[in-house]
Amino acid sequence: MRRLVFELGGARAVAEMHDDVVPKTCDAVWNMLPVEGMAIHANWSSREIMLHLHGDKVLRLPPEGPPRRGTTAPGDIVYFWRSPQMSRGKQLAYSAEFQRELSEFAIFYGDPAAGGRAADDPARSGRDSNLQVTTLFATLIDIPKDFAHKCEDIRHHGLQKLIVKRLDQ
Amino acid sequence: MTRVKITLGGVHAFAELDEKDAPKTTAWLKSLLPIEEQAIHSMENGREVYVVLDAPDRVPDENQTIYQTVGDLFVYYKPAIFVRPEWPRHIRDLLVVGFIYERDSAVRGIDGALATNLVGRVTEGIDALAHEAPRMRREGVGEMRNDPA
Repeated sequence: MRRLVFELGGARAVAEMHDDVVPKTCDAVWNMLPVEGMAIHANWSSREIMLHLHGDKVLRLPPEGPPRRGTTAPGDIVYFWRSPQMSRGKQLAYSAEFQRELSEFAIFYGDPAAGGRAADDPARSGRDSNLQVTTLFATLIDIPKDFAHKCEDIRHHGLQKLIVKRLDQ
Repeated sequence: MTRVKITLGGVHAFAELDEKDAPKTTAWLKSLLPIEEQAIHSMENGREVYVVLDAPDRVPDENQTIYQTVGDLFVYYKPAIFVRPEWPRHIRDLLVVGFIYERDSAVRGIDGALATNLVGRVTEGIDALAHEAPRMRREGVGEMRNDPA
């Protein structure tokens, strides 16, 4: 089982990839690492931070694995892609390049809203027509308190640098 | 018609209170003015900014809606888990006053839509709020102040 490490403001968390369930997605993520950028806090999905992928790090992957509807659990790491055809309203908090098409890692660091359903953004569809892709590809082994607090800090103090790397054995 | 000046970070806007349809909540809100608290951006409702208020008595349900829209000023009890990193031991919800500054928003509780006391409408300056709030998401969220206008 391959492992990833997330570094945020001096805190770190380790995740295991779900190679056995979504091998192609895991390969694509693994092959593009390391990646870093400024993480922003969610404003719909509750305790989630997002790392928008840009430049040659953008991933446009097809859906893989079991349909992901319903719940999201603390520690979930989700690959998310949204077609430029999908509206999320104005995204003035995002850099201009992310306001339509969006490729990101979503890191759920705590109890999600509505038992996790809010993370699925039920007001929008598009999943069945491949206008958006959400693939759970890794899970944090645990969520260190200092890492969770750093995630929470983003909400109040603004963007923070997040680094995602391979954790080599 | 009572007007309230809302100052968020470096911008301000004005709201008119709906004293006809929300007489108890607006009277209570006016008694608290001026309010100056750390603003918090919603992490579960979309484009919502709010402050947490300390009120010993329960604010009654009044003029409620689950269909909030841009410019709505509302008061409601927000599940504490959306405000604090962990569930507090004895407090399950916190009284907040907030507003919606952009579409793609819906106030939600733990298991679905959450009714809010609609107490007024932002009638002037919503565009300024709609630019300041996202800026704060990127650069850090400051204070919100509500004054009689």
